[in-house]
Parts: sequence; C-alpha cells; structure tokens
Amino acid sequence: MADNNYSQLIEVFSTEHGTVYQCNRNNNFVVEFAGNCSAFKTGNFLDFTRRVNAINLSEMAKNTSRHADIVILMLHYTERCFVLTMKDVIRLKELLCGAKAMIELNSIVNECLRQYAF
Amino acid sequence: MKDLLRLRTSLTEEIEALLNEQIKMEARSSSIYLSMSSWCDRNGFDNSAKYLEKQSGEERGHMLKLFRFVNDMGGKAISPEITDIPQEFDSFKGVFELALQQEINVTASFNRIADRCFKAKDFMTFQFLQWFLNEQIEEEYVARRILELFEVIGEEGTGRWQIDKNIPGVSYGE
Repeated sequence: MADNNYSQLIEVFSTEHGTVYQCNRNNNFVVEFAGNCSAFKTGNFLDFTRRVNAINLSEMAKNTSRHADIVILMLHYTERCFVLTMKDVIRLKELLCGAKAMIELNSIVNECLRQYAF
Repeated sequence: MKDLLRLRTSLTEEIEALLNEQIKMEARSSSIYLSMSSWCDRNGFDNSAKYLEKQSGEERGHMLKLFRFVNDMGGKAISPEITDIPQEFDSFKGVFELALQQEINVTASFNRIADRCFKAKDFMTFQFLQWFLNEQIEEEYVARRILELFEVIGEEGTGRWQIDKNIPGVSYGE
C-alpha cells in the first residue's frame, strides 16, 4: 500500500478496472471505477459492498428479458448512479471484496500493533 | 495506515449483524406478547391480558437497550420489520407454553451471541450482554412457574379463572 502524504490518499486495493483509496484527511474511501470517482464514509462503503455482493449474477444470466442485462444502484449516500452490466458487476465485486479484505487486514494489523504502543 | 474501521465502530461486522438480529427477535417477541394479550382479553382472561401487555413493553425495552447500544458503539442499528405475528392461539395454556418457548429461544440466542463475543474478544459487548443473561433467568423462571399453575390448580371448573387470578402474582425472588 503506497502512502502519499501530499494527498493523504492511500491505495487500498487495485485491479485492472479500478482502485479503492483510503483518504486519511477526510476519513473516507474513494472508489475509482469505470472512469469515475466516488467517496464513501466507512459505514457507507461497507453497505455499498454488501449491496454489490447481493446482486444475483446467475439470475442476471438466466433472465432473458432486456432489463435483466443491467443493474441500477441508486444509493442515498452518493450522487453517482451506478448502472452496471454483468461484466461491471463482476469487476466491481472483485474490487470491493479485495478492498474490504485489505481494510480488515489493516484493522487486524493495527490491533496487533496497539499492544506494543504503550 | 489509519484504521478507519476501528475509528467508526468497536463492533465487528459479525457482532453488529448478530445484535441487529437480536433486536429483531426482541421486537418480534414484543409483538407476539401483545398478540397474546389481545387473545387473552378477547377470551375473558383480564389479568393475563394485562400481564402479557406488560411483558410486551418489557421486550420492547430490551429491544431499545440493544438498539441504543449498537448505535452508541458506532454501529448501525436497524429498525426491524416484523410480520407474520400469530393472532390466534389454541388454548389458554397454549399461550403460556408458547411464551416459555419464546423465552428459551431468546436465552439460546443470547448465549450464542455471548459465545461469539468471547471468541472475537469483544469483551465490551460480552459485558453488556450479562444484563440480558441475568434477565433471562427471571424471564424463564416466571414463564415456567406460570405453566406450573396449570398443573397445580388444574383447568377444570373454575380452574382457569383461578390461574388467571394468580398470574400477576408470579415473580422471581433471587
């Protein structure tokens, strides 16, 4: 995880299709995906991850109606409206799950380090 | 790197989800007690109706205690959606058999959460749960004692009237 003190943005996890950053100035997460950036508070980021993970890919694949080809996520905590194709959903799931795992790992590392802090 | 997860809340995702499930369970419990109260009222068991209405209020109190705790710890307490509450019951005794079963389920659920808290080393929540575990001793005792009235007094003749009369007096003295 490369630390950039100037912008306070730290790369948490990255894939070919996007990156999740942690902003230490604003205490939030920035998701860069499909050419756009969206900032999420911690709780909202976790909620966003849950919602993306809850998208049923097999149902999308099985359903032959045209509206089933895309998923629209309109979330009250971001102005961005996510219009996702099946491919986007797979990519976004990969990005968010990877980021979440790294965030949790960071929390575990911090917890372990705290016992030596004082 | 700053630990934003810990800055937000001391609850892990798993414990927060378990507490929210418990909030739902308490809310459901409160609704069922209220429904039992209504059934007793309709069938002429006035004392039981009042007792069950009071129990409903207590369960709601438990729900709110959990609800506030989740929010106080930085988590997200979820106002539960409660549906499919039974409105009819087989018998007067059946009402209290269900009440005891409900309390047993609540105790089992708190035990499971306490076990998870202990394993996750979340001793703050573990400590918080002690109040509920103590409360369950009383809840189960009273529910069991009431059921025993059906055996001791018997339902024949004016038995049910007698049982109804005695229900508000059942209490737990440590």
